[in-house]
Amino acid sequence: MTAAALSWLLLPLVLATACSRPGPGPDGAPAPGETRTFEGTWSASGTRHTLHLERGHQASIFTLTGSLLLTGQRGLGVGFQGEVIGMSDSLTGGVGRCVWTDERGDKVFSELRGEPIGTGSHVVGTITGGTGRYAGVTGEYELRWQYVIESDEETISGRAIGLKGRVTAPPAPAPAR
Amino acid sequence: MTGPGSERRKLLSRVATFTLAVGLWSAPVPSGLTSQAWHLFAIFAAAIFSVIVAAFPLLTAAMLAAAAAVLTGTIMPAKAFAGFANGSVLLVVVAFLVARGVVKSGLGRRISLLVVSAFGRSTLGLAYSVFLTDAAIAPAFPSNTARSGVLFPIVLSLAEGAGSMPQDANTRRLGGYLMFCGMASLAVSSALWLTATSVNPIGVEIAEQFGLKINFGTWLIAASVPALAVVLLLPLVLYRLFPPGVSATPHAPAAAREALRSMGPLTRDEKVVAVAFVLMVTGWVMAGTLKVDLTAVAFAGFGALLATSVLTLDDITQEGGTLATYLWLAVLFAMSGQLNELGFMGYVGGRLSSALEGTPWPAAYVALVVLYVLMHYLFVSQSSQVLALLGVFVEVGVRTGVPPPLIIFALLFASSYFSTITPQGGSQNVIFVGSGYLSQGELYRLGALTTGFCLVVFLVLGTPWLLLVVR
Repeated sequence: MTAAALSWLLLPLVLATACSRPGPGPDGAPAPGETRTFEGTWSASGTRHTLHLERGHQASIFTLTGSLLLTGQRGLGVGFQGEVIGMSDSLTGGVGRCVWTDERGDKVFSELRGEPIGTGSHVVGTITGGTGRYAGVTGEYELRWQYVIESDEETISGRAIGLKGRVTAPPAPAPAR
Repeated sequence: MTGPGSERRKLLSRVATFTLAVGLWSAPVPSGLTSQAWHLFAIFAAAIFSVIVAAFPLLTAAMLAAAAAVLTGTIMPAKAFAGFANGSVLLVVVAFLVARGVVKSGLGRRISLLVVSAFGRSTLGLAYSVFLTDAAIAPAFPSNTARSGVLFPIVLSLAEGAGSMPQDANTRRLGGYLMFCGMASLAVSSALWLTATSVNPIGVEIAEQFGLKINFGTWLIAASVPALAVVLLLPLVLYRLFPPGVSATPHAPAAAREALRSMGPLTRDEKVVAVAFVLMVTGWVMAGTLKVDLTAVAFAGFGALLATSVLTLDDITQEGGTLATYLWLAVLFAMSGQLNELGFMGYVGGRLSSALEGTPWPAAYVALVVLYVLMHYLFVSQSSQVLALLGVFVEVGVRTGVPPPLIIFALLFASSYFSTITPQGGSQNVIFVGSGYLSQGELYRLGALTTGFCLVVFLVLGTPWLLLVVR
């Protein structure tokens, strides 16, 4: 067996081990009525289509997807696949709609607003609900794009840091009389 | 070689591949990933594994993987087939066809005879000429894929001129050695010069977010010692790892000079190819300044060779290998891109690197660089890995106390030299891989060993050098 074959036999094991190791504490969705804080990072890539308006004024629509990794003692889970679709205007800022999906397929929905997307821009998100174990959650978060780089024409990649926020689960329904 | 033994090995390899695919697919989805990302990883990992253990050729594995990914609903057809319209993939294919024109016209042979007349006293001399030529022209080429289109016809002509043919078991090793030298030289020259590949400026932009400003000079100083050491040693190392069969050719330079004389002046086809090639190279070198597309430049050159009948449609119909290359490269390119887009790469990179937090910085530094290099088994694009993982790994390194310039430069250089770790690890490899001089097993073995050698040199020589010059 060659060294490469051996390394490939080991690599899935390493990856599987790394992936299946329990996270640093977060244990999924909050209990009814509970509020939890979370923080993390988000690495994403996607596309941006820019429309050049009058001098110094640009508008763009963008989509980004990538891995959102959360840390903290009692967060929202280990991580999600984060997907956002948005519009950014160099004069008025950006808005977007975001879906986080976890390993069970349960989702968290949020609305984004903030500075036009780009390196250093600050964004605020409002969690508006979810599905499955995140049904009815509300909350807010913020993040800052550490960098957003256009690698090919209309292809962008970025990394958001300082992602932190809190989420509140809806109260348990009152028992039926 | 066929026989009951090899058939049984192949069957076992296929069973192992299938078991790996099903095992990974059925394993619980790790917390933080989607099932879509995990299932695509299972398909992709099994495809690459099948090639390494010789269960399937790369084309077969890629086709089965694409079919599995789409038919199971893991990814949308448009995403799975997006690689067929990717500019880098098309550039490789067209450069392949242009190279055929260089060889067919006789210009390739003339250039190879010139090289042999100067360096041809030994096979090792030819290998050094490939490395040195590439290192010398690299800073002018912002695309190493385009540079591979320049280097490949010369290497191919050198191999064919020496009587080495891919189908001939007795002579193919010389060509195989030179082909791998071509791949390896592109990897090292890209690490040596900031402007030798489009990946480096992307990395520099990310480095700036960590407070490190890098320019042409600082990059060259930082890279010089480890990269030049690799240039000096790697032809010898490869010579040991893959003996070319022919070593000393003391009479070759004189014979080459005689052959050059007998070739006479440039023919009409050679002149056409020379002009087209010079214009293409100018276009590639000036692409950034003139804002022209690299692939469109290659199409223009290819079109010119067809229009002037240097290449004919009959020539193109015989390029079945190019079609095979196009198919597997496009599929793997798209699949790896999807793994990244679905968050798999960022997730694994983030989990692996953050597991190192709290370890002493020298250990964390070595582990981060090694993990970063190993992760390239999953990538078909160097720039994708830089965009997905460089920031993550640098941040963890800085948090564990590694001096920022050290971890940044180490990872930036790795982003170039890890490209030979797999045949698909960089689009510049593909044209050499498609020549057929090396088997898939040889490519993976040499790729792993070459990358390991570069890793050791850059860690052992590069680390103290970086600590000395870029504090």
